[in-house]
Amino acid sequence: MTAAGQPIRVVVVDDHAIFRSGLKADLAPDIHVLAEAATVEEAIAAVAAHTPDVVLLDVHLPGGRGQGGREVISGCAGMLGQVKFLALSVSDAAEDVVSVIRAGARGYVTKSISGTEISDAVRRVAGGDAVFSPRLAGFVLDAFGTAEVAVEDELDKLSARELEVMRLIARGYSYKEVAKALFISIKTVETHVSAVLRKLQLSSRHELTRWAADRRLL
Amino acid sequence: MSAKMYRSTDRVVAGVCAGLAEHLGLRVGTVRAIMAGSCFLFGAGVVFYAWLWILVPLAGDDAASGAPQLADDGGPRLRLFRPAPPAEPAAAELGSGGAAQPQGARTRPGFSVGAREILVGGALVVAAVLLFSARAGVNLNLGTIIPLGVIAAGAVLAWMQLDATRRVGLLNAAKMDTPWSVARFVAGLILVVAGVLIIVTGSGSWALVWASVVASVAVLAGVGLVLAPWALKFWRDLQAERAGRIRETQRAEIAAHLHDSVLQTLALIQKRADSPQDVSRLARAQERELRSWIYQDAGQDAGRLVAGIKAVCAEVEDLHGLPVELVTVGDAELGEPMRALVQATREAVLNGVRHGGTPVSVYVEAGPSGVDVFVKDRGPGFDPGAVPPDRLGVRESVVGRMQRNGGSAEIISSPDGTEVRLHLPAGPAQAAAATGTARNTDSEEAK
Repeated sequence: MTAAGQPIRVVVVDDHAIFRSGLKADLAPDIHVLAEAATVEEAIAAVAAHTPDVVLLDVHLPGGRGQGGREVISGCAGMLGQVKFLALSVSDAAEDVVSVIRAGARGYVTKSISGTEISDAVRRVAGGDAVFSPRLAGFVLDAFGTAEVAVEDELDKLSARELEVMRLIARGYSYKEVAKALFISIKTVETHVSAVLRKLQLSSRHELTRWAADRRLL
Repeated sequence: MSAKMYRSTDRVVAGVCAGLAEHLGLRVGTVRAIMAGSCFLFGAGVVFYAWLWILVPLAGDDAASGAPQLADDGGPRLRLFRPAPPAEPAAAELGSGGAAQPQGARTRPGFSVGAREILVGGALVVAAVLLFSARAGVNLNLGTIIPLGVIAAGAVLAWMQLDATRRVGLLNAAKMDTPWSVARFVAGLILVVAGVLIIVTGSGSWALVWASVVASVAVLAGVGLVLAPWALKFWRDLQAERAGRIRETQRAEIAAHLHDSVLQTLALIQKRADSPQDVSRLARAQERELRSWIYQDAGQDAGRLVAGIKAVCAEVEDLHGLPVELVTVGDAELGEPMRALVQATREAVLNGVRHGGTPVSVYVEAGPSGVDVFVKDRGPGFDPGAVPPDRLGVRESVVGRMQRNGGSAEIISSPDGTEVRLHLPAGPAQAAAATGTARNTDSEEAK
């Protein structure tokens, strides 16, 4: 966790200058924008040059091989330990959301999110937690299935508790509300969400693969 | 009388006479008679006919070449905005051609038979005149006339074929090789070649003709070899043109859609710039519409539960200008109890927007055990027990409706917001509810 008072250093990657300046104005004062980038190449260069805490990354970007945000993350694969990626998009299509998470992003928020919410999300990601929007939670439930099933690999299923947390997030609960509803601490909620994120990134479960194939994510 | 002359699609040979008749405002029969008669004036009719055939476009040709006539009937222009499968332009053209000459199309069969007989008769008369003049001492070189006749017949045959399929072939290369058209084309070609050979050799000697055939085939093969790259290039250009046409169609469709939706909304937003609520409502509605268009989920699952809930959420959003976030997992068939669930969801969302006054989150989970719907707002909350009994809203339209259809509803309210939880079990319970449907609707009507 970043010590309180120490600013969080971010790089903003988006091909629309208007959106970048709007986002910069919206971010809380403890979040410093080091650099901006508009294309895949610029983004990779900016991340390498500044090693920010968090990269706010648009999913659809010009340049590179046409894979947008995903390509930026794989281009910075060596720095994934220090640099965290928070994906931002107007799209809420499954292929955009899940592919960028699978590439290594720590969270996904839509661009209609408010300034306070995005600042919270940045702090959360900087602290090593995952940021789940209701829709991303919905995709997770869709992909892993809502019923408990017996599977060999622990990575391939969500625990009953994780399912509960995902459901509440999909219902529009904040982490605080989830904690209150389940009588657990916010820290525990964050742990569950991070575990789900890890499973989403690493699982090669048959269902997940099929789910992705159905939506042409593979 | 029409301003510009076209060859008619209602035709005997090439539609020249019918087109000329329409252009001059005369009867088709008259024109045909004059044309046939003028053939005896040293073949003037034949030459005139061939001249018109080559230079006058077939009705409907202009649409294909994109001439200004395009907008006359609006047909071709409309076609731009339709997603056209590759085969469609040809079909559409044939259709529009038919529509342009409705009366001709109706009279066609009878005309056609009669005209053919007249043609044959005319040919016989010509032959008779020739024979008679030969008898009368006029020196006719049959060795020249017969090959010329053969060439003319072959050319007509091949041209009729090419004429009919040229546009179709350009637009849809796959249609070019119907067996009948190939046969006609080849027959025409053979006739012309044979005629030319007979003229060139100038004698009836089979040995000489045979040698010439071999030589000609060798020359043709050589020319073909040399021209093959060009032919290939021509073919590729055709394919590229087709692809371009399809792309153009798609682009036009997208442009039309953006014009109808996005540009209109932007114009409206500029007009209402002083009313933030209207602006956000317009923007939100347009966003929703554009999303469903881009991701093409509209209509695909129509008649399913998620589509139904999406529709009621959109309706409430439009009514109150507050965003309704919908997350769905799974889907279900939209049976009778499901419809009640959708209606109950609508009431719950409406309540959340109206009394909560905040954005509302809706979560739908359809699984094997049933369907759960959660509707959450962040308003000040209320005490469900304190709602006066005469307020029907929540009690009747949400709780009562769910219970009547074999489901359950729960309302949890706190100062942080209100959540309505609806549950409709699947399987036997749903089947039971389905059998009780008639009674339920009856009782609803009775009220």
